[in-house]
Amino acid sequence: MTRPFGVKGRKRKHGQPKYDAAEEEHQQPPPKKAVVEEKEEPEPEPEPETASAEEDELSGIPIAPSEKDSNKPNVIFILEKASLEVAKVGKTYQLLNSDDHANFLRKNNKNPGDYRPDITHQSLLSILDSPLNKAGRLRTVYIRTEKGVLIEVKPFVRIPRTFKRFAGVMLELLQKLSISAVGKREKLLRTIKNPVTQYLPVNSRKIGLSYSSEKLVDMDDYVSTISSNVDLVFVVGAMAHGKIETDYTEDYIAISGYPLSAAYCITRITGALERKWKIL
Amino acid sequence: MAKSSKRSSNSGGSSTHSKKKKKNKKSGPEGVAMKMKANSNKNNGGAGSNPFESIWSRRKFDVLGQKRKGEARRMGLARSLAIQKRNNTLLKEYQQSAKSSLFVDKRIGENDHALDEFGKAILRSQRERQLNLKLSKKSKYHLSDGEEDDFDGIDSLGRDDFEEEMLPDDVDAESHEKLDLVRSSLRIPGEINAVDREENVRPVVLSLLGHKTKKEVMEEIITKSKFYRAQKARDKEENEHLVEELDKDFTSLVHSEALLSLTEPNKMKALKALVNSNEQSNKDPIPASHTMENTLQDKPDDYDKLVKQMGLEMRARPSDRTKAPEEIAQEEKDRLEQLEEERQKRMVAAEDSSDEDSDDSEKPSEQKSRSISGDDLGDSFSVNEQIMTKKGWVDEILERKDEEDSVSEDDDDDDENSDDSGSSEDAEESNGGLEDDEKNLSLKDWEQSDDDDDFGADLEDGNEDDSDEDRETAVEDLDEVEGLDVAVHKRTSTHKKTKGDNSVKSLKRDKDSSNGKIDFGGRQSKESDIPYIIQAPNTFEELCSLVDKCSNSNIILIINRIRKSNPITLAAENRKKMQVFYGILLQFFAVLANKKPLNVELLNLLVKPLMEMSMEIPYFAAICARRRIESTRKQFIESIKKSENSAWPSSKTLCLLRLWSMIFPCSDFRHPVMTPVILLMCEYLMHCPIISGRDIAIGSFLCSMLLSVFRQSRKFCPEAIMFLRTSLLATIESKHISDEDSQLYHLMELKALKPLLCIHETVNEISPLNFFDIIDMPEHSSFFTSDGFRASVLAVVVETLKGYVKVFEGLSSFPEIFLPILRLLNEIEEQKNMPNALRDKIKDVAELIKLKVDEHHTLRRPLQMRKQKPVPIKLLNPKFEENYVKGRDYDPDRERAEMRKLKKQLKREAKGAARELRKDNYFLLDVKEKEKSLQKKDRAEKYGRAKAFLQEQENAFKSGQLGKGRKRRR
Repeated sequence: MTRPFGVKGRKRKHGQPKYDAAEEEHQQPPPKKAVVEEKEEPEPEPEPETASAEEDELSGIPIAPSEKDSNKPNVIFILEKASLEVAKVGKTYQLLNSDDHANFLRKNNKNPGDYRPDITHQSLLSILDSPLNKAGRLRTVYIRTEKGVLIEVKPFVRIPRTFKRFAGVMLELLQKLSISAVGKREKLLRTIKNPVTQYLPVNSRKIGLSYSSEKLVDMDDYVSTISSNVDLVFVVGAMAHGKIETDYTEDYIAISGYPLSAAYCITRITGALERKWKIL
Repeated sequence: MAKSSKRSSNSGGSSTHSKKKKKNKKSGPEGVAMKMKANSNKNNGGAGSNPFESIWSRRKFDVLGQKRKGEARRMGLARSLAIQKRNNTLLKEYQQSAKSSLFVDKRIGENDHALDEFGKAILRSQRERQLNLKLSKKSKYHLSDGEEDDFDGIDSLGRDDFEEEMLPDDVDAESHEKLDLVRSSLRIPGEINAVDREENVRPVVLSLLGHKTKKEVMEEIITKSKFYRAQKARDKEENEHLVEELDKDFTSLVHSEALLSLTEPNKMKALKALVNSNEQSNKDPIPASHTMENTLQDKPDDYDKLVKQMGLEMRARPSDRTKAPEEIAQEEKDRLEQLEEERQKRMVAAEDSSDEDSDDSEKPSEQKSRSISGDDLGDSFSVNEQIMTKKGWVDEILERKDEEDSVSEDDDDDDENSDDSGSSEDAEESNGGLEDDEKNLSLKDWEQSDDDDDFGADLEDGNEDDSDEDRETAVEDLDEVEGLDVAVHKRTSTHKKTKGDNSVKSLKRDKDSSNGKIDFGGRQSKESDIPYIIQAPNTFEELCSLVDKCSNSNIILIINRIRKSNPITLAAENRKKMQVFYGILLQFFAVLANKKPLNVELLNLLVKPLMEMSMEIPYFAAICARRRIESTRKQFIESIKKSENSAWPSSKTLCLLRLWSMIFPCSDFRHPVMTPVILLMCEYLMHCPIISGRDIAIGSFLCSMLLSVFRQSRKFCPEAIMFLRTSLLATIESKHISDEDSQLYHLMELKALKPLLCIHETVNEISPLNFFDIIDMPEHSSFFTSDGFRASVLAVVVETLKGYVKVFEGLSSFPEIFLPILRLLNEIEEQKNMPNALRDKIKDVAELIKLKVDEHHTLRRPLQMRKQKPVPIKLLNPKFEENYVKGRDYDPDRERAEMRKLKKQLKREAKGAARELRKDNYFLLDVKEKEKSLQKKDRAEKYGRAKAFLQEQENAFKSGQLGKGRKRRR
């Protein structure tokens, strides 16, 4: 009984734009503008225009060739055991975190230390903010929560920078099961069916990361050994304690002698990949 | 009704079960639960224990902190309940459907399922008794209709118990309420009115509280009166306190500065005295207050008097309205007309009176009038006239005063000139000084275009500041001044050296003033002859005849009067007149500039009216300028073709160019006048062959003029730079032009010159040049070949170059433009005959160029391949709500959201109804099936029975025992 796709007369507009108004220095034009642009479809994107203007200015100087191949290997991140859990605290539903809901969790015989959605937030930010993503080499991010809910995150989503907003998004996601873009019907985040392996590309190398692994490698070396036409899947734990237990990983490595935070671990991975793929 | 109530009872039972069930489910094993349930079912009525009823719905997601009610259900039980409900309703209806009559159960209490058998019995017996009672009371023979008072009886039964007692109770409650209201209203404190109100209210209260005891009422009244008395006392105390504070504040105010500044001193004293007395009285407040009260009634207080006086005392006076330009013009014209009339009158009067001054001539007339008025009544015409003039004179003075107050810049000197009040030399001198100031300033402007912007301001300032100095230095020797006048040209190049400028200025001023003074001898009689109202001349000859043999200041005076008597703001036809006059004036200017002994002073004076007029008629001024430029360019082209005489611009052209560059804005990107002016100047610089030192001097003047133009617009002017470079080249004897240089200037050829500026002998001092002197000099004068001239021209060139360096320092091609010049400068600097001051100057400029060049070089970056910035993927913002609540519609359009909600509800209801209907159908189908099967069975049974009978008969027949009877019969 779903709605037919294009039937609606007016696009549903968001009531109050809830995107991050606070910090958007370095990213794209503000989304409101984007909305306008998208409404007038035939209008070409503004970026080529500016580029042409530049050309006019420096017409004599040749442009360095830019390589653009669509069939380059991509990378997928899976955040395992993310603690995204919704609970009814008081009268409202909230995303549980250790700071705000310590008493509530204790009352329900849970360990507040286990409820750390901020780890997921940080890791997501460090994945999506990386030049790797900006260069379009990230395919998807999957989040598997402690409860077993699998969430697909598109690479072009702009995750809210503040935790509170992130919590708001996740709360809505876990209740509505999908989050669409501002001014678009496109789904940016959605919950999907388990298992995650059905979404992974066939020709891919699935690498789990854990401090507990015996195989301690230098990430740069390790990445350089992987043949360049294989997609990479990195499975990182987004939990406070414990280790990931997955049956689909082919490799199980540690990239530092010290226990790393998820965000930093991801930074290392993306850094190594950027160096390998010459993304500056 | 029946089903709902039944269901409710059932569901109540089930809920208790479910509670139990939950506990069991949580704690105990499954088996126990099953058993429990079986038991409960048996208890419930034992309607066939369905094992499916015991199965609970599973909870899908366990959400922490969530208490769900509807989630955990027993699906089987619900189903059986629904069937039961249908049994009670639908089935019955179905069964009734075929029937024509209906059995209605009207037994008492039968419809109420809450009642058990016993309750029903009670009800019935009650009813019976009641009926009996009624019957016995009313009439034994009255037969009830039965149905009518079926329920009425019960109702009345119920009602009977209450009705009679209800009324008094209600009244009681009401009265209580009223009382409360009254009390609350009485509790409002702080109002004196409340006392009255209370009195008004009391009877009401009393009437209301009829049954209140008198004692209570009295007590209430007493407490109230006490309360009010206390409040009054408190108010009084507060008032006194406030008054004290006010007194204190007032004394402090009196001693403060602010009041002192506002009031007159004697009143201040009175105030202070008042305050002191107050203070004294404060010392013994009780008697004082008494006396104060007494005096207050008797006479107005000192304080009050003071306050009233102060109110009258200091008042701002309204200032005069600022006048519109039309009004000012009109006033000016009126004044001039009046003055003219007077002048005419005086001219007539002067004939009969002696040759005295106009001022003196008035005095006798006054005396005359006095002598006459001693006897006369003062109504004779002649006397009237005198008085009129006298009045006019007084008015005039008053007017002048006013004008002096409202410093109206250039009108001032006109006033003083025309007033003729002081014909003595001193006054004249001061007037001259003032005018000369103006000249001076206009001259300054003429030379330094920097000040163009704040022209008016300068004028005013100059007028005020310099007039005093002038009076002091007015008497000076002519000879002394003349020599110093040479400084003019130098100042074109040394813009920044203000100190030197000042000295020059003052000297010039001296000269001018002395000039003016010298002229006075011949002019004095003339000045008064200038009419106040002058019609604008229509031809150049008219103007010439007007201006002929007038002194400079008088010419300006004439021009000003012409302008004032034909103000554009007053009449439309004046515009045309003024346009014609402007053209003539411009021609006059041009002609004046072309005269061989150049009247620089008059030229300078003419600039100001010309500028002002072109501001009034800008469009016409622009047209005039363009015409002149066109004709000048034609002449220039002609003269360039004939190569024998020098094509360099004449003094007239130069003056006009300068004038335009002052009138029109130089900084415009494109201007109808300035652009051709600049182009013309550049053309001069490019195409005119440099033959003599004079040419270089003119060229450098053009360069400096261009510099003043480009200083604002910062446009690059290669011609000027080229000229400066060639003139620098002319200082070097060896003429080699390197290839690289000519490459850079590949669009312009560098002209090789004779060493026109080469300094052969040591020159001790560099004297600044006066450009007008140079212009005046004949072309082949020996001055142009002198080393002194060369050195000073070189100094000017270097200064101008410095100006250009500063203007063009922002250009990115700065090093390429100025590096060859730097090399040249270095070469020149090393020449041995170079005077030291010049050498320093050159070194200075060279260093400046080097510094800027280095700066530019450090800022330059090597050529690179252009890189395209990698385009990041486009990010999208997720749409989410701040406090998301599941199920709420976040549509900002409330109407739409509401609509959607209703639609959803409708859909849900429709679905539910359809489901119910479907289930009903199934149920009915089921029932019918059952019936049918029952019927079938019945039929089959009947059939069987019949068949059996028949078979039996057949059997009997066949076996030969066909009826015993028959047998018997047989």
